[in-house]
Amino acid sequence: MSAMRTRLAGALALAVAVVPASAETDISAQAIVNKASAAAYYQGADGKATVSMTIADAQGRKRTREFVILRADVDDLDNGEQRFYVYFSRPADVNRTAFLVWKHVGSDDDRWLYLPALDLVKRIAASDERTSFVGSHFFYEDVSGRSPEEDTHILVEETENYYVIESAPKKPDAVEFSKYKNWIHKSTFIPVKTEYYDQYGEVYRTYSALRVEDVEGHPTVVESRMEDRNIGGVTTMVYRAVDYDIGLPMDIFSERYLRTPPREHLR
Amino acid sequence: MRTPFLTELATNRPALMMQLAGVFAALMVALIAAPTLAPETFSFLQPLKIDTDPENMLGEDEPVRVYHNAMKDEFTLHDLIVVGVVDQTTADGVFTARTLSDVYALTEFAKTIRWEDDGATVGVIGVDIIAPSTVDNIEQAGLGSVSFDWLMPRPPETDEEARAVRARAERIPTLKDTLVSGDGKALALYIPITSKDASYRVARALREKIADFETGAEYYITGLPIAQDQFGVEMFRQMAISAPAAMLLIFILMWLFFRNVGLIVSPMLVAMISVIGAMGLLVATGNTVHIMSSMIPIFVMPIAVLDAVHILSDFYDRYPQYKDRRQTIFHVMSELWRPMLFTTLTTCAGFASLAFTPIPPVQVFGVFVSIGVFLAWLFTITLIPAYVMLMPKKALEKFGAKGAASESREARGLLARFLHGVGDFAVERPKAIVSMLIVALAVSLYGVSQIRINDNPVKWFAPDHQIRVADRTLNERFAGTYMAYLTLEPAAGAETLAALAAETRRLIEALDTDAAAATAARIPEAFEQADSSELFLATLEEQALEAREAAGDDAQWYEWDDVLLALDQARQTADIFKRPDMLRFIEGLQAHLEEKGVVGKTNALPDIVKTVHRELLLGEKSAFRIPDSASAVAQTLITYQNSHRPQDLFKLVTPDFRKANIWLQLKSGDNIDMNQVIEEVDAYMAANPAPVALKHDWFGLTYINVIWQKKMVWGMLTAFLGSFLIVLILMTFLFRSFWWGLVSMAPLTVTIAMIYGVIGLIGKDYDMPVAVLSALSLGLAVDYAIHFNARSRQIFERLGTWRETASMTFGEPARAIMRNVIVIGVGFLPLLLAPLVPYQTVGIFISAILLLAGATSLLALPAIITLFEKTLFRKKSGKGEFYVRHAN
Repeated sequence: MSAMRTRLAGALALAVAVVPASAETDISAQAIVNKASAAAYYQGADGKATVSMTIADAQGRKRTREFVILRADVDDLDNGEQRFYVYFSRPADVNRTAFLVWKHVGSDDDRWLYLPALDLVKRIAASDERTSFVGSHFFYEDVSGRSPEEDTHILVEETENYYVIESAPKKPDAVEFSKYKNWIHKSTFIPVKTEYYDQYGEVYRTYSALRVEDVEGHPTVVESRMEDRNIGGVTTMVYRAVDYDIGLPMDIFSERYLRTPPREHLR
Repeated sequence: MRTPFLTELATNRPALMMQLAGVFAALMVALIAAPTLAPETFSFLQPLKIDTDPENMLGEDEPVRVYHNAMKDEFTLHDLIVVGVVDQTTADGVFTARTLSDVYALTEFAKTIRWEDDGATVGVIGVDIIAPSTVDNIEQAGLGSVSFDWLMPRPPETDEEARAVRARAERIPTLKDTLVSGDGKALALYIPITSKDASYRVARALREKIADFETGAEYYITGLPIAQDQFGVEMFRQMAISAPAAMLLIFILMWLFFRNVGLIVSPMLVAMISVIGAMGLLVATGNTVHIMSSMIPIFVMPIAVLDAVHILSDFYDRYPQYKDRRQTIFHVMSELWRPMLFTTLTTCAGFASLAFTPIPPVQVFGVFVSIGVFLAWLFTITLIPAYVMLMPKKALEKFGAKGAASESREARGLLARFLHGVGDFAVERPKAIVSMLIVALAVSLYGVSQIRINDNPVKWFAPDHQIRVADRTLNERFAGTYMAYLTLEPAAGAETLAALAAETRRLIEALDTDAAAATAARIPEAFEQADSSELFLATLEEQALEAREAAGDDAQWYEWDDVLLALDQARQTADIFKRPDMLRFIEGLQAHLEEKGVVGKTNALPDIVKTVHRELLLGEKSAFRIPDSASAVAQTLITYQNSHRPQDLFKLVTPDFRKANIWLQLKSGDNIDMNQVIEEVDAYMAANPAPVALKHDWFGLTYINVIWQKKMVWGMLTAFLGSFLIVLILMTFLFRSFWWGLVSMAPLTVTIAMIYGVIGLIGKDYDMPVAVLSALSLGLAVDYAIHFNARSRQIFERLGTWRETASMTFGEPARAIMRNVIVIGVGFLPLLLAPLVPYQTVGIFISAILLLAGATSLLALPAIITLFEKTLFRKKSGKGEFYVRHAN
C-alpha cells in the first residue's frame, strides 16, 4: 500500500515536472479551473437563453426538447451561489414543466420540480446530481456546473491555445468517473472539450463546445454536445436569444413561480 | 450374381486399395487442418467453422429472425444471462451485508467481462446490467420530497441496510419477482451480453469469480443463451467421448462374435474413414459444424459398420467351406452385393430427404450423412476385401480350423438354435404373428395420436446438470428465466392525414385568437399540398414561426406561440402509447397474461408510469395508477428520465411512442407453454380491441424456438413421407416386384409406428432429436428387410420351396442380421451415459430401432411371405415349382 502511494506520488510529481513552466501564465491548475467555471457558468450577474435540445440515441432516433434557462448569481459572485429556473415549452405535452435549482457551494443543491398536468410541485431530495437531465446525455451537474472544489486538478499539458487539466474526484464513491480531462481555452477560459474516464481508464463520455460567440462582450457557448459511448448516442444543445445582465428579480426563483411562470422573461 | 468390379480390383490390388483409402483420409484431414491451423497460407481453403447457436436452425433471412433482430435493435435489448443468488442458511436469505457485498463485487466484476473479437468488443454490456447496484430507485424522501438514487449505491455495511435494499426493491413492480424473489430471500441478476456465443465464456468467468465468495449463498447461472451456448460446447465434448466409446464397444462385441482382432479392425477402418470423409467434405465445402452436423459421426458410424458386419458374418461362416479367401470373398460379395447396394441407396435416400426440410442445418446434416453412408458403402466393398487379402494367412488359419464344418457347428450354437426356432415359429404361425403385428400397429397408431410436440433447449441437459438445477431453482423463486417479447403497434392505415387535419383544426380553433384564425384559414391549402402528416404540420409551423418572430409585443408573441403549441399537440396525437386508454389496455392484457401460470410476470410501460406516479403522489397505494391525461403520462415519464438509466424507458416503448414492447418472463421454456401464451394473446386481442386498432407480434428466443420447431416438425414429416415413397420405389425396383417391395416396407412401418407410438404413450416430448431420428429409423429399419428378402429370394432360386428356403434363410443370413442388431444396438448404449438428453435419445433410439427392426424383419417377413407365398412366388408353368416373381 505504501509502495503504491509512493509510486502514485512519483507519477504525480512526474506529471507536474513535464509541464513546461510558462513565465507569462504563472497560474495554478486550481486557478485555471476556477476561471473556467466562472467563464462557463457565471457570465454577467444574470442571464437567459432559449435552448433547443436534440437527443439522438444510439440508433439515431431523435427527440427534441425546448426550454428557457434563467440564471442569477447571488451577489454576482463568481463560483458562488446561484439560482436557475428551467422552463419547458416543447414537446407540447411537457409544456410548462419547470425545474428550480438553488445551487450551493459546499453543500447539496436544492431542487424543485413542477409538473403542470399533475399540478404538482415536488422537491427533489438531495442525492446524486450525476443523473440524466430530462433523458438527455447531459447530467444535471453539466447544466448547473460542477464546483471546482469537488475535484483535485493538475495541469497536464499546455498547448498553443489550451490548458489541459486533469481532474480527479475528491469523493470517488460519489461519481461514476475516475477522472476527466478538460481543454480550457487560454484567452476566454471556456472549456471546449471534456473527456470523462471510467475506472478502466477509457474515455466513455465527451463534452464538446461546438460554437462559441461573443454575446454582449461575454464569450458564450451557443452550441454544445455530449456523447456517451456506454449507452450510445449524442445530445446537442443550441442556445438562442442569449442575454446577460437583464436584471432578473430574485423572487422569481421560488416555488411560487413554478406554478405561475414569469412569462415576460420566458419569451 | 457376379462380383462387383471394385471388389475384384480390391482383391487384385489390395495394397493399392489400402493406400488409396489412406491417402483419401489423410487428404481430408489435411483439408481441414491446413486452413484451420494456417488460415493465411491456405486462404483458398475453408477453415473449420464451429457454430453452437440453435438460433441458426433457422436461416439468417427467416422472417422471424429478421424481426427478432430488428426488434432487439429497436428496443436495445440483448440476450440475458440470469445469475440467481440463493441463501438458505440465513433468515433473510441473501439480504445480508456479506452476501450483498459479494453481489456488488460480482456486478462490478461482470462489467469488466469484455474482450476483443475481430476488432469488436464483445462480452457483457455493463450499462444494461440489472443488479441492485445498477438500477435506480425512486422513493419518498421526507415531506413532499422524492428521491432518485441507485437501489444499492454501495455495498451495505450492516444487515439492516441489506434488508432496506430489499424493502426498496419490493416496492418497485419492475424489480419485484425479477430482481428480488417473491419470497424476498433470493436475488437474480440479469446480465446482457453482446451475443449468445459469448455466454459460455462469460459464465465461466462469473463462476471463477463466484468461487472466491465465502458465504452460504449459492449462485445459479441460467437463461436460454447459456443453455444454448453451453449445449453447443458440451456437444462437441461429448462427440469426443461418446463416439469413441461407441466404437470401442462395437469393437468388443465384434470380437466376441468373430474372435479375430485382425479381421474386425477392418469395419472400424471403414467407419473411421467414412466419418473423416464426410466431415472433411463438410468443412471443405464451407459448411459450418453446427449442433446438427456434429452428430454426423454418431449417425454414420453404425451404418458404416452395418454392411461390414454382414460381410464379416458371411465370410466367417463361409471361409471354412472354401479355405480360400479370394473365393470366399467372391462368394460373399456375390450374395451381398445387391442387398448392400440397396440398403445403402435407401439409407442415403432417407437422409437425403432431409435436404427438403426448411431448416438449413438439417439439410446439411441430411446431405452429409448421405455422403458418409455412400463412402461407407464404397469402402466396405473395397477396403474389407483388400484388408482380408492382406491379412497374414496365419491369422485366418485359426478361423478355418475352428470353423471346420462351420455351418453345422454354428448351427448347433445358441444363437443359431434360437433363430431356427424363430424361423419355424414364423412359418408355422404366420396368422398369429400378423395379427400381433396388426394389434401392435393399432396400439402404436393410438400412441402416435397422443404425441406431444414440444421442445425446450434447457431440457437438452440431463435433469441433474447444473443448468437444469439452476433453471428449476430460479423458476421456483422468480417470475421466470425464459424471455419473450410482445410488440404492439398501430394497425396499418389506422390514422389518416384527414383525421390529423381535423384534429389540428379543432385544437387551433379552440384558441380563439386572431393568430389561430389566420392559421385555421391556411389548413385547407396545407392539407392539399402535403403528402405526409409531418409535411402538413411543418408547413403550418413555418408560417406560425415567422409570425412569432415578427411579433411586436408579448401578447402577440404568445398568441403565435400558442398556435405553435397547438400544432405540436396535433403532432403528438400520434404518440398513442402516452394515451391513458392505451396504457390501460396494456395493463389489462398484462393482468390477463399474469393470471396464467406459465407467465411469471410481465414488464411494460404502465408499470413504470404507475410507479413514478405513485412516488410523485406521496407513495400512496391509491396513486399506483395510470394518470388521466396523456400530458400527465408524459410528465411522469420525463420525471422518470431524470434517472441514471433514462434509456431503460425505450426498452418498453419506442421514442415516438408508437410501438410498445411487453417483456414476458416465463417460468417454462417449453414450446407448448409459449404456444399457449401466443394463443391467449391472440384471443385477448380479438375479444378486447384496443382504443386504437393494434397489430401484435412476438420476438425473443423462447418464441424463436417455437417457430423453428414448427418448421422442424412439418419439414420432418414431409421429408419422412417423401423418403418412405422413395424407399418403396427402390424396393420395387430392387425386387422387380411391387409386392416384394411392399412386403419389404412392413418391418420398417411397424418399427417406426411402434417407436413413435411408445413416445406418444410414455409421454416423451417429440423434440428436435426425436424428429431427426425418424430419418435414421427409416434408413436402418429397411436394411434388415432388404437383406432378408434378397437372401431369401436367392436361396429360393436354388431350392424352389419356401419351407426349405426359410430354413436356410434362418441360417447364416438371419445370424448376420442378429449379429448386426446386437453389435450396433449394444454399441450405442454408452450414449445413455452422456449428460445431454439428445445423445441419450439417439442412443436409445438407435438401439430400439435396430432391435425392433431386427425382430420385425425376422418375424413379420417370414410370416407375411408364408401367408402370401402364392402371390410372391409365382408357380412356374407346368413344373409345379415356384420361381421368384419377376416383373418381366
